[in-house]
Amino acid sequence: MQEDSSKNITDYYKHLSLFWTDIMYLMSSKPQALTSTGPMRAFASNSKKITTELIEINEDLMGFNEYLTEYYKQLANAWEVAQKKVNLKAPEVPQDVEQIETFKRIWIDIFDNDFTELFDSKKFGENYGKLVSKELELTKHWNNITNVILQSANLPSKEEIDEVYKEMHSLKKRVGKLELELKKKEMSKK
Amino acid sequence: MNSESKIDPKIIEEMLKFTKNVMDAPKLVSAPDEISLEVTPHDVVHELDKTRLLHYRPLTEKQHKTPLLISYALINRYHILDIQPEKSWVRNLLLQGFDLYMLDWGSPTSMDKYLDFDDYVNGYLDSAVEHIKNESSNEKISIQGYCTGGTIATAYAALHPENVKNYIATAPVIDGWRDTTVISNLAKHMDVDKMVDTIGNMPPEFMYYCFSVLKPFEQGIEKYVKFFKNIDNKKYVDNFLRVEKWLGDTPPIPGELFKQWIKDIYQDNLLIQNKMYVGGERIDLKKIDMPTFTQIAVGDHLVSPECSMPLHYAIGSEDKTLRMYPTGHVGMIASSLSQKKVLPELGAWLAERS
Repeated sequence: MQEDSSKNITDYYKHLSLFWTDIMYLMSSKPQALTSTGPMRAFASNSKKITTELIEINEDLMGFNEYLTEYYKQLANAWEVAQKKVNLKAPEVPQDVEQIETFKRIWIDIFDNDFTELFDSKKFGENYGKLVSKELELTKHWNNITNVILQSANLPSKEEIDEVYKEMHSLKKRVGKLELELKKKEMSKK
Repeated sequence: MNSESKIDPKIIEEMLKFTKNVMDAPKLVSAPDEISLEVTPHDVVHELDKTRLLHYRPLTEKQHKTPLLISYALINRYHILDIQPEKSWVRNLLLQGFDLYMLDWGSPTSMDKYLDFDDYVNGYLDSAVEHIKNESSNEKISIQGYCTGGTIATAYAALHPENVKNYIATAPVIDGWRDTTVISNLAKHMDVDKMVDTIGNMPPEFMYYCFSVLKPFEQGIEKYVKFFKNIDNKKYVDNFLRVEKWLGDTPPIPGELFKQWIKDIYQDNLLIQNKMYVGGERIDLKKIDMPTFTQIAVGDHLVSPECSMPLHYAIGSEDKTLRMYPTGHVGMIASSLSQKKVLPELGAWLAERS
């Protein structure tokens, strides 16, 4: 029930912001056209994208926090179990240097073993994978917002730069193959 | 009162000494930035994009005829193989009379995000091999691949067996499904498409996170306590700082290469099943028919023995040797054990075939 109502509220605010962004854009697009060569025109026409991204960031942030909480919960649980094992194995408070060294060794061995077991577990791997995935979603939104700002300054977006990189990579490969063929031909002439 | 009287005064003494060591550390040791990791003299004999081919200057009058090229890992840099003279893999092989080359993959930038396995195997590694063949007037050379560099070298040996006289696989990443390390667990649950599409190259920071979950308390706390305790021991401190500097210097991994590596090796495990494709060609491990020497560290927590060992059984070579050593991933290549046991065995095997 609580989840439903929180979704309804999010949807309501999403709709509300998009409604007003659209209306304001439509109402102001004609006067803005006067400054069609300036950065504000480009920025205003893309501001809806920023609003949408910000709303979606909020949704993804909720998911990210959920997995982050689970991440720290798993670490805290592993710590608690490991500490109990240490207490059982070394119940006395160390009194001299040798005892401290022994206690430290026991503590490190148990904690390393237990935490490695956790990091090696399916539940940790799955949660960590989802946490990183949500973090990437947040990065994507941030990239999209940055693209709007870049476009308003007539600068190439990340996708456009990626296209150049891709093209360069493909060209390099083709040149490399051509050079190799040329070399082979020269060798066969010799 | 009773409990107070039980406290060993040595504890206080140790604590005071430790505090003094921490305070004195900056006066006694160099900052990592001031340390150069280049040890054994070499020349850069070939460059392609950001990769460099290093040729080490000989340390013996006579050398074995067949040169040896090392294909180092994609994580961290080649300096660990030459971290200091008495633990140097490079120096040891030179002293055994091998003509030694090292392929430095360089540091890829954002514009290299589309570099893939094909570029590394059929481009950079092949170009280095061709250069060495021409320079040394040999039709075939020996190749050693370490860790992920072993994966690349394995693919190369399968695709270009005509160029490889001897193959040495040192802790290679081969069978991802059998790998029991934390790294493989993280890799198996990674949405690598989304990762590469969003951030391009695999950033070093992500690698550091992966390293930090390996023996977190031994490596994250105890290691540094030991460092400060031994601050007066010049040899210990020098070695510590060199290894730390090396650990903190890992280049990004090109996005496409990383994607293929995670998917084909860890998630779908295609290489060991002879189903992996590089540059449109299928890698058939049976085509590795040259003499092959596989080195495995029993205590390897980065590439588990179960991940490397299947290579020995999958290749087509009749002259093949498998050696296991009681050490870890780095211990196998940069320790006193590697100098006393691993390298002499490798040298003897390779000298016979060079």
